[in-house]
Amino acid sequence: MSVTASALGRPTPVERSPGYWAGVVRRLRRDPVAMVALAIIVVLVLLAIFAPWVAPNDPYRSSMIRRLRPIGTPGFPLGTDELGRDMLSRLIFGARLSLLMGVTPVFVAFFVGSFIGITAGYLGGKVNTVLMRTIDVFFAFPSVLLAIALSGALGAGIFNGLLSLSIVFIPPIARIAESVTTAVRKIDYVEAARASGASAMTIIRVHVLGNVLGPIFVYATGLISVSLILASGLSFLGLGVKPPEPEWGLMLNTLRNAIYVQPWVAALPGVMIFITSISFNLLSDGLRSAMDIKA
Amino acid sequence: MAAREGRPDMLAYLLRRVVLTLPIMLGVSLVCFALVHVAPGDPLISVLPPDATAELRGQIAAMYGFDRPYPEQFLRWLTRAAVGDFGTSIATSRPVAGEIWKAFGNTLMLAVLATIIGFVLGSLFGFVAGYFRDSWIDKLASFVSVTGVSVPHYWLGMVLVIVFSVQLGWLPATGAGPGGSAAWQWDWTHVRHLILPAVTMSVIPMGIIARTVRALVADILSQEFISGLKAKGLMERGVFRHVVKNAAPTALAVMGLQLGYLLGGSILIETVFSWPGTGFLLGQAIFQRDMPLLQGTILVLALFFVVLNLIVDLSQAALDPRVQRS
Amino acid sequence: MTPAPLLEIAGLTRHFKLKGGLFGRSAGVVRAVDGISFEVDEGETLGIVGESGCGKSTTARLIVDLIAADSGTIRLGGRTLGVDLELRELRRQVQMVFQDSYASLNPRLTVEEAIAFGPTVNGVSVREATALAHELLVKVGLEPKRFAGRYPHELSGGQRQRVNIARALAFRPKVVILDEAVSALDKSVEAQVLNLLSDLKRELGLTYIFISHDLNVVRYMADRVMVMYLGEVAEIGPVESIYARPTHPYTQALLSAMPSMDPDQLTREAPLAGDPPNPINPPPGCRFHTRCRYATELCGKTTPSLFALAAPRHLAACHRAIPGSGHPDAPRRLETAA
Repeated sequence: MSVTASALGRPTPVERSPGYWAGVVRRLRRDPVAMVALAIIVVLVLLAIFAPWVAPNDPYRSSMIRRLRPIGTPGFPLGTDELGRDMLSRLIFGARLSLLMGVTPVFVAFFVGSFIGITAGYLGGKVNTVLMRTIDVFFAFPSVLLAIALSGALGAGIFNGLLSLSIVFIPPIARIAESVTTAVRKIDYVEAARASGASAMTIIRVHVLGNVLGPIFVYATGLISVSLILASGLSFLGLGVKPPEPEWGLMLNTLRNAIYVQPWVAALPGVMIFITSISFNLLSDGLRSAMDIKA
Repeated sequence: MAAREGRPDMLAYLLRRVVLTLPIMLGVSLVCFALVHVAPGDPLISVLPPDATAELRGQIAAMYGFDRPYPEQFLRWLTRAAVGDFGTSIATSRPVAGEIWKAFGNTLMLAVLATIIGFVLGSLFGFVAGYFRDSWIDKLASFVSVTGVSVPHYWLGMVLVIVFSVQLGWLPATGAGPGGSAAWQWDWTHVRHLILPAVTMSVIPMGIIARTVRALVADILSQEFISGLKAKGLMERGVFRHVVKNAAPTALAVMGLQLGYLLGGSILIETVFSWPGTGFLLGQAIFQRDMPLLQGTILVLALFFVVLNLIVDLSQAALDPRVQRS
Repeated sequence: MTPAPLLEIAGLTRHFKLKGGLFGRSAGVVRAVDGISFEVDEGETLGIVGESGCGKSTTARLIVDLIAADSGTIRLGGRTLGVDLELRELRRQVQMVFQDSYASLNPRLTVEEAIAFGPTVNGVSVREATALAHELLVKVGLEPKRFAGRYPHELSGGQRQRVNIARALAFRPKVVILDEAVSALDKSVEAQVLNLLSDLKRELGLTYIFISHDLNVVRYMADRVMVMYLGEVAEIGPVESIYARPTHPYTQALLSAMPSMDPDQLTREAPLAGDPPNPINPPPGCRFHTRCRYATELCGKTTPSLFALAAPRHLAACHRAIPGSGHPDAPRRLETAA
């Protein structure tokens, strides 16, 4: 209970409260739904990383004599596709491209959109007007339409798909970033920091980012599920990943005609998209309430 | 007195919103136009014979106006589009406008029906969930709404086809009428074709509207004067009416926007069901690299979305004057 | 006799354009602060009082350029801002404490981080700044061991405001602007914080600008008082002089509306009726004339300027006090032997 140390110019050892993020993690761990969703996502990511070791067969090896085998075929527990390739192996390998195509655009859009939105929100004035009116134009397109228009114009391919989807998710993230930043900017502690003579960069780093990135991040995690569905949707239309790569949306596309022969095999890739998408949605919801952010 | 003062305000707001929409529309047109020029490859590839001479190529390019500078091309395209002329389809040589309107009608029918189904089911789930907050009914309804927004709807369409067309044989799997007949009629043979795509499409707005309504209802019920109403003995019926009155404007606004999203995003479902709408047309335009058709379709869908947004905003403001201020 | 004032404000003006109308044209101008001038001496406390919306807080923010002024000069210690005084230096020397203790502290920073932020951006090492933060915590009556590692939401309003004071003091400022700094606190806590402020002022030789709507608190804290009405100075003078002989009818009304601690001093005059007029289009002439019971035709036409009264350093902007102004209550013009 002594304060003498401070008089010597040395910081006293102090009692520290757990930080904000420690609290978020604690609350998240008490949320069973979010934890199950997280576990599923971790398993999917592990499957994607270790696909060559986990998959029982070569996902590319086709065979004309064992096409469209039903679920439960010995050696092919989830059957085979229209070219006789092992469904289980393709679904496991499919996690790689499907997750990459679904998560990367949101990741890219999170950085670009946050940058645009925070800049517009912090600087205000004309910069804000120019940036946000441009964003508004892209926001005026329904997201699916914009994604398809862009990747339709650019042509199929992984990179074009990623680019189109990133462009689609930048406007909503930039809008959220702008509105939170504008709100934070008006709070007294930012005023106080400005009155301290700190540079704009320092204020943004210390006082703005810490308070706006959380809400923007949560919003972005909510977009992952949409992005996954859209990314697989592009491949489903023949616009994203090209054959013969295993990707869930593309697999749904190539198996479409098989619904009359092996309907449940044909539906499997969609189950994977669904599980992944709902897991991200539930995790995002859990994160939102753990971070105490109003919808 | 207040109403008389409010009217010029509302008129000014209306005018302001309409005027502010114009630059957005211009920007949207510019993006649609630019799409063709970010596209790699020759836009004429689909009409030119593989052994076309440079001279022939030049003639055809001049025919479509592709030899002019971009700003001039844009202005020409825009002024024509303004009077409903979107040029000629490169693939079919038919006017783009006619193709779009036919397809647009089909998509609108599908999207409106899907929005209505989604709104009715979503409101029901949302209301029940919000009213019995944190009960098992709430958890179930919330799960249904999360499922609605998480399910890849094109896959759901496939599953419904598998169950109701392939396995049970109750409903047709594809098309908008028997034997690919073009003319739509409101009879059972045609309506049967509408059921599966409309139900599939309704899943997304259902999930979103259920979420919105649940939050609204829970919020309204947590306000103090509701307990006052209950205390006064104005039990369930009065409370119910109050909740509906207060939640309706927002729920309807969400519904309006969802209609726009469905119209713009119909391509996936139309592909699954071979439904002859704008989405189907868009797919056709993309794979045949039919740029006038692509531009025209996207422009019509995007402008419709902008106008829909405007209508939703204005009706919101008319219902709730506080919106004007924000 | 008096040394040069520490802070001199001259002709400070800020009008806000109101957006509205059909295409976002300007729909009017709020004259938030309209050409005010005053001085603050080293070591004194200047109280600024007035109803909400009179421009008190805007004035404070204009002084440290948190809001850009339209015109006016700010001089600190004889140096002029923008001429031989940099904004950075002014901001270091003039610090603010805001009313909302919670909004003034970044929720993601611990108490010591919040206090150390200012010194670190001004070139002090994190280690030294932290040591300084602990030292200041002791000064504001918070034990570092218990409070340095806490987050704002774990503190009470009074504790947070103590942290805000420490945060301001970390710059070693000459002037501290206290913008309604104790207004949101409970009465007992308020008294403790006021005593702390008095102690700190004595110990560190600070100068305060104390903004409040609470006239009892201002009387306790201030050496001189400035009364503001709709962006203008209505009256300014030493605290005893203002409270004993308020000259502007607005000051009189404010003081008579003040809840007295003394049961013998009952409210005699009618308190102010109605809200202040809209500052968007302030009335012409004396801005107070619409609510003033002494108002004549003159008051609605001519704007009175600040006039030095008999008491030293006591000025008021009222026609009734200006000799020869034409107001029936005004003293006669002093005939000078010309």
